Amino acid sequence: MSMDIPRQSLAPTKPPRRGFLRDNPSVLWFMGLLGLFTLGVTVLSEGMGIGMVSTNLVKILGMTLCLCLIAIAMDVVWGYCGILSLGHFAFFGLGGYAIGMWLMYARTEIVIRDSLGRGTIPPTPAEISEGVAAQIFGVVGSSELPLIWTFAGSLPFQLSMVVLVPGLLALVFGWLAFRSRVTGVYLSILTQAMTLALALYLFQNDTGLRGNNGLSGLQNIPGALDVPQSVLSVWFFWASALALGLGYMLFAWVVSGKFGSVIRAIRDNEARVRFLGYNVEGYKLFVFTITAIISGIAGALYYPQAGIINPAEIAPIASIYLAVWVAIGGRGRLYGAVIGAASVSLLSSWLTGGGAPNIDLGLYRIVWTDWWLVLLGLGFVAVTLFFPKGIGGLFDYLVRKS
Amino acid sequence: MATLLEVSGVSVTFDGFRAINNLSIAIGEPELRAVIGPNGAGKTTFMDIVTGKTRPDSGKVLWGERGIDLLKLSESQIAKAGIGRKFQKPTVFEEQSVRDNLAMALKNKRGPFSVLMWTAGAQDVARIEELAEEVGLSDRLDYRAGALSHGQKQWLEIGMLLAQDPRLLLVDEPAAGMTPAEREHTTDLLKRAAQSRAVMVIEHDMEFIRRLDCRVTVLHEGAVLAEGSLDHVTKNQQVIDVYLGR
Amino acid sequence: MLRLPRLAAFAACLIALACFGAAPAAAQTPPASDSITPLQDVLQQVQPQVANPSRATVPQVLGALLAADAPGTVAFLRAWADREVYERPADGLFFFARDTANRNLMLVDIDTGAELAEVTSREVNQIRPNAGVRREIGAALVSFELLNPDPARRLAALENIARSPDSEQIEPLQAAFAIEEDNRISERMERLLDLLNARFATDTATRVDAIDGLSGDISTEARRILNQILQTRAEFAPEIPEGTNVARVRTPGVDMDLAAAYATLADAGLAPPHLGRNAIRDALRNNVVDGTVGGVPVHLLDNDERRREAYEALEAAGMVAPLVTEEDMRAAVAEYVFFDAYLEPDPAVTTAARASLDSTRTAISLWQFLSISLDAVSLASIFFLAAIGLAITFGVMRVINMAHGEFIMMGAYTGYVVQTVIPNYTTSLVVALPLAFAVTFAAGVAMERLVIRHLYTRPLETLLATFGISIALQQLAKNIFGTQARPLTAPDWLAGAIQVNDLVSVASIRVAIFAMALGFLVLLLFILNRTRLGLEVRAVTQNPGMAASMGINPDRINMLTFGLGSGIAGVAGVAIGLVAQVTSEMGANYIVQSFMTVVVGGVGSVFGTLAGATLIGALQKGIEWFNPTNTLAAQTYMVLFIILFIQFRPKGIVALKGRAAGD
Repeated sequence: MSMDIPRQSLAPTKPPRRGFLRDNPSVLWFMGLLGLFTLGVTVLSEGMGIGMVSTNLVKILGMTLCLCLIAIAMDVVWGYCGILSLGHFAFFGLGGYAIGMWLMYARTEIVIRDSLGRGTIPPTPAEISEGVAAQIFGVVGSSELPLIWTFAGSLPFQLSMVVLVPGLLALVFGWLAFRSRVTGVYLSILTQAMTLALALYLFQNDTGLRGNNGLSGLQNIPGALDVPQSVLSVWFFWASALALGLGYMLFAWVVSGKFGSVIRAIRDNEARVRFLGYNVEGYKLFVFTITAIISGIAGALYYPQAGIINPAEIAPIASIYLAVWVAIGGRGRLYGAVIGAASVSLLSSWLTGGGAPNIDLGLYRIVWTDWWLVLLGLGFVAVTLFFPKGIGGLFDYLVRKS
Repeated sequence: MATLLEVSGVSVTFDGFRAINNLSIAIGEPELRAVIGPNGAGKTTFMDIVTGKTRPDSGKVLWGERGIDLLKLSESQIAKAGIGRKFQKPTVFEEQSVRDNLAMALKNKRGPFSVLMWTAGAQDVARIEELAEEVGLSDRLDYRAGALSHGQKQWLEIGMLLAQDPRLLLVDEPAAGMTPAEREHTTDLLKRAAQSRAVMVIEHDMEFIRRLDCRVTVLHEGAVLAEGSLDHVTKNQQVIDVYLGR
Repeated sequence: MLRLPRLAAFAACLIALACFGAAPAAAQTPPASDSITPLQDVLQQVQPQVANPSRATVPQVLGALLAADAPGTVAFLRAWADREVYERPADGLFFFARDTANRNLMLVDIDTGAELAEVTSREVNQIRPNAGVRREIGAALVSFELLNPDPARRLAALENIARSPDSEQIEPLQAAFAIEEDNRISERMERLLDLLNARFATDTATRVDAIDGLSGDISTEARRILNQILQTRAEFAPEIPEGTNVARVRTPGVDMDLAAAYATLADAGLAPPHLGRNAIRDALRNNVVDGTVGGVPVHLLDNDERRREAYEALEAAGMVAPLVTEEDMRAAVAEYVFFDAYLEPDPAVTTAARASLDSTRTAISLWQFLSISLDAVSLASIFFLAAIGLAITFGVMRVINMAHGEFIMMGAYTGYVVQTVIPNYTTSLVVALPLAFAVTFAAGVAMERLVIRHLYTRPLETLLATFGISIALQQLAKNIFGTQARPLTAPDWLAGAIQVNDLVSVASIRVAIFAMALGFLVLLLFILNRTRLGLEVRAVTQNPGMAASMGINPDRINMLTFGLGSGIAGVAGVAIGLVAQVTSEMGANYIVQSFMTVVVGGVGSVFGTLAGATLIGALQKGIEWFNPTNTLAAQTYMVLFIILFIQFRPKGIVALKGRAAGD
């Protein structure tokens, strides 16, 4: 063919597949860095190392890893598949609630068993469960164990709920939404409505999850009550790092092959994909559900480190922040989501936690807790306008240059 | 030549405007058929109906030996049944490589799980290369589709169509914006494809159609005005009136 | 002129009061002179009767007071009855008194209210009328007010009666009713008579009559009285005693909890108490011997079966009270009849009251429905105001403006700032509305020029960029105005409520907001359908490319549209600020509802937004009706409904059809 093609656009995109890791060197890079980071934090931690990193900071870092995990899930569903979901933080919260129920129940049960066991007569199972119920639900003026807590004492059951509840909700909601071909901003608003409905539901006292009190004391792990928080925090940090690593591998694998090809095609032109014979709704549903499940797992690791979960965590705004992280980090690349989530959330906790020095301008004193959100909002507008590829786009630029 | 697709008595209305008016048309296998007609004759809407994008108000669309009712299937089911479509504007996935574009179109299982587990076997790789050869994109396999020229995108799309291995190809203005050399190549491609399957080409360019050398259907105001060889229809007084817009 | 028949009636009334004892009213006393102490003068004429009142002498005093009609008579009568009048034995004069700091009394002149002298309590006598006298004085007071020539005073007296009904009021009310000429007052009197008779009349016929008169009356006071008559008390007896007015017989285990029924017997000492789990455990604990109870080792007592076993062993040994089984409970309960008895013994009265109450049921539901509907309309107009600006920008430009809520907030704060500058609420409101429009119009245009214009091809990113603006604006508002809610006060003429009856009332401010929403609807329809701008806007909505080629500048249209939408948000902000609190987060509270209003209604249509707002408002109030205690639940279900609704009508209620809807 004699067509003249502009020279710079001739760069080949990707050689044929040779193997997952060799095709995706960034996965190896990421794994290496994550491993080093984990090792470094462990060595510097109070609980297991030389104590340069406080227990509180270890917790913050571990929580940040969980946020990175949900951010890559968001990236897959939005950056790769084009569904701007404003509901993934709801799945995150549901995962947290599922594990929180076990943490709270099992710990309260130990306390109750202990106090009843001091009497002459040993307690019966009914007495224990009534005691637990009174202890947990006294705050919302109830002393009966709601139906959904029936198996709260069973760790395997609640662990399966971490996966099943977000997964099933995503499956049902996604099926309804995709089936009727709701797309674009409509879909975003619909997911936001779902999140709002869930948050409002959880805010009610009589739905069995303690209303706006939420679940608390989650940092105490039944079975490890005598392990100091400094050590526990490192354990959870490891678990979060492991989950992030596995999640990253999983998603990198999912988006690298033909499946990734199809979902990116759906993002760019879903009607065309339909005429190729692909059931677009099925793919969207698959992506929506799997990312919801990973979000739930991320939440289940996050809240034991945070110690408390309440419905405000699920409010629609949280899911929008998630989208902001991914957009700032750079959509359509997994490491971009990690960079965005880590940098923005850490910066946020540094600036709002009073870590940053306030700036005195003579006439006006810039207090970061007051101005951080203004900065974030405007910065975000700037990123959208001028750097649509986010921070990750910088990497592309550097790689192309070298 | 058995009838492959039979459209009978189909009508569709948009806000009071009759885009398709009691249209009946049939195509056999193998066959090459050109569909012509002035703007607004309902050519594209006809394709939309066959591929499931638009639901008609009335009429029947039957497919294959067993007479499957296409109106009950979704777009993707129709595509899987064996109808491939090329759009007027070339629509390839510009962010992805030519190879990925073709791989997506290959006749493999389409379910999410099988696609997730799919890796390119020797057979698939060979088929992709064969298709690339056929549409003249062998040396562009690992380039971004967005970097291709307009004509190359058209061919890539035809290549994707062939990769689907459909029994019926619906091709909307394949020669638009092509150089004469590219047109010739496109004509050859279509004629070759029509040896084993049904191909229906919508085109404005009479020269291109003459080169296809096939049966022609003339659409006007959503119905068939005339049908036959190109010479036959161009002599038809009604067709002349419509085209000259008396 | 009007006074004479009234005075005569009052005299008649007093005669009626005095029918027991002494002679009719005392001799006519000369009218009060021009003395500066007219009341004291009158009282001195009947000094002994005032100082030592008895039922026989009260009418004389009242007659004298009535004839003189000195100012302050009512206050004196009330004080007299309340034992607040003192007599100074030295000169026989009467005084009011106030306690002073050093436990003495400060005498107060009964005519002028002037403080006269401080005395010890020994120097004066407190006048202490007995209960009978006080009742008569009270009745006289009622008549005094009910016969007052001033209709407003008579109405006020009636309201007093309605507030604290009393059997003594019946007679004076009847007397007053007989001569009342004002229709409105006489209607009110008739009803009050019914209310009083229904509750206090002594003979059944009168009461039943009065109760029948109340049927169909939906006022709270009528229903309160009927419900009072129908009060019941749960009772039990071996058999229902003669003359009990039974409301309902209960069968334990069917419409009454068996355990509860048994517990009432046990409480009355008629049956041994049923031992709960805790009681059994305590009994076991008290009988532990050498680590076993009744032969069962203590550590095995961690289940109910073993505990029962141990307890039965103790029971067999006679060491504890026997267990009460369910059989025992059933047997004990079967000996008695459990029933609810009316406190009112007369069945005729309760039957009539029940019928009367039932007769209002339909009317009450209809009124309540009307009330809910008005609430829904009010809510819908707020949603409409909040959403219509969004609908315009979304419909015309396919741009999601997440900062729309912050424009609402901006408008509300504009209103607040104007109120701090202009103290007159009416003027400030008149200034604030156009100013809020101007401020948010400018903000909208600025945002369109600086941000949105660059993102037209990327709708999802517009959503996010405007969200960035939204959080920045929210935080800015917080930095400037603080986190506290700021007041935006409605002028007095909007502060009240339009009261239709006891069940239906609408706040004036809500009516005003409804009118405003209606005004905007008309204005927008006019702009879109009757002006050049509207024509151009519609052209750009339908086909921007074609519009541009016909000489319309889409940039200008987009800018104006965005400004208009934002400006309306600002005005809506002032309106919403009047009914809700002005905080930096107020916009966020409306944004999701506004989106849903637009999406449910159908994008790009004013009527669609109207339909959406109506549907959502009606829905929310409708759900609240079924579950009034839980507005959160109502909102949850509403959102769920909307999610489902969009499944079935993805394009909203008013959907564009055909190719134009393709994008």
